[in-house]
Amino acid sequence: MKPRLMILLGLLSVLGVQSRAIAHGVEINYQTTEAIAINATYDTGEPMAEAQVIVYAPDDPSTPWMTGTTDEQGRFLFAPDRAQSGNWEVAVRQAGHGEILSIPVDGEAASETEQAPAPSSETAAVEQTAGRANNLDALSPLQKGVMGGAVLWGFIGTALFFARGKK
Amino acid sequence: MKQQLITAAFLTLIAPALLQSCGGNNAPQAEAPTAEQANPSATTPANGETGTLEIRANGEDFVREGFTTKDGWEISFDHVYVTLADVTAYQTDPPFNSEAGTEIQATQEVSVSEPKTVDLAEGETDADPVLVDTVEAPAGRYNALSWRMVSANSGPADGYPLVMQGTATKDGETINFNLRLNQELAFTCGDFVGDDRKGILEPGDTTDLEATFHFDHLFGDGDAPPDDEINTGALGFDPLAALAQNGELDADTAELEQNMSADDYNTLLGILPSLGHVGEGHCQETQLTT
Repeated sequence: MKPRLMILLGLLSVLGVQSRAIAHGVEINYQTTEAIAINATYDTGEPMAEAQVIVYAPDDPSTPWMTGTTDEQGRFLFAPDRAQSGNWEVAVRQAGHGEILSIPVDGEAASETEQAPAPSSETAAVEQTAGRANNLDALSPLQKGVMGGAVLWGFIGTALFFARGKK
Repeated sequence: MKQQLITAAFLTLIAPALLQSCGGNNAPQAEAPTAEQANPSATTPANGETGTLEIRANGEDFVREGFTTKDGWEISFDHVYVTLADVTAYQTDPPFNSEAGTEIQATQEVSVSEPKTVDLAEGETDADPVLVDTVEAPAGRYNALSWRMVSANSGPADGYPLVMQGTATKDGETINFNLRLNQELAFTCGDFVGDDRKGILEPGDTTDLEATFHFDHLFGDGDAPPDDEINTGALGFDPLAALAQNGELDADTAELEQNMSADDYNTLLGILPSLGHVGEGHCQETQLTT
């Protein structure tokens, strides 16, 4: 029974509010960060529930950077330290079965989808989805052209509208 | 006129926004990781600095301590001889994934020069994995290992890559077995997966790599549920016990093929490529399966 690890890199919004100071007050802040989501299953499709997870950072691959366990669906989430670019490694182990996956993490936030070589029925797959795809670089040339034309048409139309005078 | 002005302004402002939203829904373009993204310190050899790399072989507790098969036989091994050849440790970039069907891309590699026969059952139950050889190696991160199992040229395993000797006991019946398998195998593996990390070699230091053999894949594990895949896919010992005469089973591959049922023999052959691991990490078998 071979483990399969799916990795999803996404943008997380850690929701929080900042409360006013009251007796026994609690202050909650929030920040937005990118996280890597692990989805660990056996090759049968069965989730690796409550499996041991060990995360190693690129700067010190000998020492666990974080440890934890997957949830009932074999999921585990962590936010890598973006100051450490390189290969982050995640080992998921359970009852003598284990797999380790190397996840290249750029120091800068990336807008990319990455797919490992086409997985076979027994292949671990890596998938990274966009964290920040909402920028002009994500548009195709056709989309950019149509958008520019629409803006230009808007200016011309507005100018003609005011230039036509009163009937 | 006021309404027309509002309409024109709305179209001017909203059209680009709508188009950009559509673009945002597109899947971002795939981009292969580049070498620069990899951690240089993990893959770049230190300049002229070396350490000692120990290559070890491990049959795990199943071999050293014995175990109960899926069909209730208590197995105790006297000797499990494997002959390893072309044992090579690699520093790879990108890290090798044995299940991705890709080739190792090595930036550094070191090999054991001669075939070695080792006894995986050697030593006490708490003994370290058996030392195959030590090699002087450039410092760095050795995150892949490959080896072949070949026929021994001499010694107790002469002529065979794998020889298993021991006793099997069940319900008062004891069988002394000597199983000699001649299928040659070749394993290519990625990083070790286990309690510790292996293969990280600092200058002047010593570290180890491990070729691990999972014999529970062959016999099953009586401690695991019957419907666990380790048992549903295993041969067990019953098909072998059926071949014993007067409590003795001494057979090589040809005799097993001749006397076992075709299904059992094919099961045996199908399991052999899954014996090789690196700790808990899986390997790619490239000889028997191709």
